[in-house]
Amino acid sequence: MPSLFLEAVLLLILIGITLTIIFGKDLLTVTIVYCSFSFVTMFLYIVMGAPDVAFTEAVIGVVSTIYFIMTLKTIRRHTK
Amino acid sequence: MRKVLAIITLVIILLIPTFLFDGIMPSIGDPNSAPNTHVSDYYIENSVEMTNSPNMVTGILADFRGFDTMFETTVMFLAGLGAVLILSNRPNIKKRFIIPRNYIKQRPNIGAPRYKTINKDVMITLFEPLMMIYAAYVYFHGEISLGGGFQAGAVLGLAYIIDVMIVPGRRKKLFALDKGNALSIGGIGTFIYALTGILTMTGGGLCLEYDKLPFGLSHAESHSAGILMIELGVTICVMATIITILNAIMGRVRFDDDPIKRREDA
Repeated sequence: MPSLFLEAVLLLILIGITLTIIFGKDLLTVTIVYCSFSFVTMFLYIVMGAPDVAFTEAVIGVVSTIYFIMTLKTIRRHTK
Repeated sequence: MRKVLAIITLVIILLIPTFLFDGIMPSIGDPNSAPNTHVSDYYIENSVEMTNSPNMVTGILADFRGFDTMFETTVMFLAGLGAVLILSNRPNIKKRFIIPRNYIKQRPNIGAPRYKTINKDVMITLFEPLMMIYAAYVYFHGEISLGGGFQAGAVLGLAYIIDVMIVPGRRKKLFALDKGNALSIGGIGTFIYALTGILTMTGGGLCLEYDKLPFGLSHAESHSAGILMIELGVTICVMATIITILNAIMGRVRFDDDPIKRREDA
């Protein structure tokens, strides 16, 4: 039961993060919040008992955040 | 013409799963399908002694399903190739270097530290060897702990990414790869994987049947050696793909917010 409660809390955090990503105005902020999405997903995988998927998620979350920030440097817009 | 090709491809993609695989593939959630009746139990019971890998995920991924993983590695390589082909379609790509050439000339005290405290470059210098050692640890313990080739390659790619972030002149970079070299290394990684399959076939077995590796090893040793070999291929391919995509994006970066460049323009 405590594991279910933890999952519910993490999923609620994920919903909040997603809403922030959708309605955020600054693109750099949105990118960093997207990184935190991957971070919370990592905890969700650990709670569900899949630590290797969590490891992959942590590494790939960092890599994709770097890609997004590099892409932000190629375009000139920084707000939506 | 492009639209017609796209529509034809879409129709083929939609038709193949519905008609061609109908009756071959089990429907989703079918309790009488093979994975739900005996395949999962077989893996759980026999995976450790058959593959000599305490981690069952690695055992299934690299040994039972090695042929699938080979083409997943190929898909990773194709992702890097596609990123290069799409992103580097610029006529004057060679003029746009990552660092402007007059960057070093304009700062005579380039070797001197700017800050008295620990700054970014010092942090990178401290962290980079640790990350590489950790990647090697993840790779060599792929069959025992969680992790494996993919994660080790991603950590190695991250080490390269933070190496790129060092200001030039402060310290020499460990290694620099341009797009073509990185892509070639990704191809070499995929080739190492396929070479393992060819080696088992020269030993008289099927493709990726590690018992037939022509090294004269025992059952357990040959399985460990085979898994290590294919994970080496996956590691190299993933690392090179990450570097390739990074280079392809960095080729388009304009350093407009570079303070020295901006002063020069004004």
